[in-house]
Amino acid sequence: MTDLAQPAAMERQIAARGRKREFPRFDVMNVIGYLLLLFAALATVMPFLWMVSTSFKGDQEIFRFPPSFIPDGLRWQNYLDAMASPDAGRQLVNSLIYALGSTVSNLIFCSLAGYALARMQFSGRNLIFALVVGLLMVPAQSQIVPVFLIVQKIPFAGGNDWLGNGGTGLLNTYWGMILPTAATPFGIFMMRQFFTRIPMEYEESAKLDGASPFTIFRRILLPLARPSLAVLGVLSFQSAWNDFVWPLILNSHREMATLQIGLQLLQSGPDARWNVVMAMATLITLPVIIVYLLAQRHVIDGAVTSGVKG
Amino acid sequence: MSLRNSTSGPIKTVSFHQNWSAYAFLAPALVILFLSLLLPAVATLLMSFTDVSFLKPTSFVGFDNYIKLFNDTRFQQAVGNTIHYTIGVTFPTMVLGLLAAVALNQKVPGRMAFRTIFYLPVLTSLIAAAVVWAYVYEPYAGPLNGVLTRVGLPPQPWLQDPSLAMNALIIMAIWRDFGTAMIIYLAGLQDIPNDLYEAARLDGAKGRDIFLRITVPMLSSVTFYLLIILIVQTFQVFGAIYVMTQGGPLGSTETVVYQMYQTAFGYTEFGYSAAMSTVLFLTILAFSIIGTRIMRRKDV
Repeated sequence: MTDLAQPAAMERQIAARGRKREFPRFDVMNVIGYLLLLFAALATVMPFLWMVSTSFKGDQEIFRFPPSFIPDGLRWQNYLDAMASPDAGRQLVNSLIYALGSTVSNLIFCSLAGYALARMQFSGRNLIFALVVGLLMVPAQSQIVPVFLIVQKIPFAGGNDWLGNGGTGLLNTYWGMILPTAATPFGIFMMRQFFTRIPMEYEESAKLDGASPFTIFRRILLPLARPSLAVLGVLSFQSAWNDFVWPLILNSHREMATLQIGLQLLQSGPDARWNVVMAMATLITLPVIIVYLLAQRHVIDGAVTSGVKG
Repeated sequence: MSLRNSTSGPIKTVSFHQNWSAYAFLAPALVILFLSLLLPAVATLLMSFTDVSFLKPTSFVGFDNYIKLFNDTRFQQAVGNTIHYTIGVTFPTMVLGLLAAVALNQKVPGRMAFRTIFYLPVLTSLIAAAVVWAYVYEPYAGPLNGVLTRVGLPPQPWLQDPSLAMNALIIMAIWRDFGTAMIIYLAGLQDIPNDLYEAARLDGAKGRDIFLRITVPMLSSVTFYLLIILIVQTFQVFGAIYVMTQGGPLGSTETVVYQMYQTAFGYTEFGYSAAMSTVLFLTILAFSIIGTRIMRRKDV
């Protein structure tokens, strides 16, 4: 895993910092502390290393006890088996549609709402902002049952009548998956905080020229918001890509399963093989780690301000 | 930044047109928040006073669900398990996160690599992590028992023994969460003014005193914030239990959210499940309100 962390780039950064200030003085306590740090790092990556190691093992090898850390050979067949497992392609498509749909809608809806709350004068603004802050505190997991019932009762969807009865609503649909995650109080709050910080002068001349609020938003403020949108985008993608509970409850049809559900089905299935399961787990974990390494600084900043995680 | 800042501007009369366009900007987000959070919260409360299920017509039952809930030994066990899990995860996570943050706030070699490594489990999907740890804990082929056997210790049935299973889940959760604590503590450490440390050093303070007298007190509001986040999050544990133990063995890992899920979708007792949900909701809300108060007082 560590070779993914672009050691060369990091060493350069560290070297650049090291020149400014010296490393801590060499003494016994520092050496012990550093050894503990190394031990903690090793303990942290160990499950990942076992995941990758087992993903290359043969069908007999996985039952050997005690298991050996180095596999006998690199058996890429496990990865092909994981990808060829029934529905894996469909699950990838489902995960991508869910994650991208949720990300794009969050970017649009949260920035629109955040802009209105930060920079537009209208009656009820304080009330709506208080509502958004209040909803930040609603624990999502405790709401899964009523959200399920509401999504099932959306009028005119899935054979429902205008009162929402008779059909299956948005159960087992992409719309049903995306809708409840399409805007979050956190996203609105974050965009609102960002837009508040931009000086009013940016849009005043455009206002004098008679530009509409949407034009000002689209042409002037949205381009300034790129870094915040990047954070919101990565966090939204990560949370939908890693989501398990909502797709699990919403979708009873096998063809609507996402990769996370697929991994759980693969692991709990009657013919589960640890090597193929670990190959699948590796394939699911890698994209998020790569996205993170590319956008590291932004994501960590976002995670700090939000305290929200995937 | 204070939440109240923006409202302090001059209040002008607002035209109909301004209202109309502002609400057009807000409408999509508000509709979604209404359907996904506000309506469900109200619906849960209403449902908890009924016996709604797919099997029979719904009727109003007053506080019956709550009375049943407080006499339900299975629910009491779930509450106990949830508290065990919450305490077991929260404190070690914070201590490890603080130690890692203090260590990596110095110019140690490879600090960015360490930070990245400690943050990796946070990025891993819960299900991938749970599946990998289910393998780590596997009694007959898993690496953990493999290592124990090699060093001459007896292998353990980690997830199959009622006295071990919850602790096994707790260890996995600490592994997955302490990176978050580290990142939040690192941010907190960077806010501590350097002058404080320099003054202490001039007065001849030693490393341990500096840590206990300056670092820890200066981080108290960060610590409190983190405590609230972790409590709120661990109270809602579900995915790991669904994948690794299904609440077993002998109900020893059945938590409140897992039982809520079972009651609703396993036994279709939606009303009873809603009562559990309401109790959970109010508990978490109380913690969140305390946390927000602290955040506001600190004016973050």
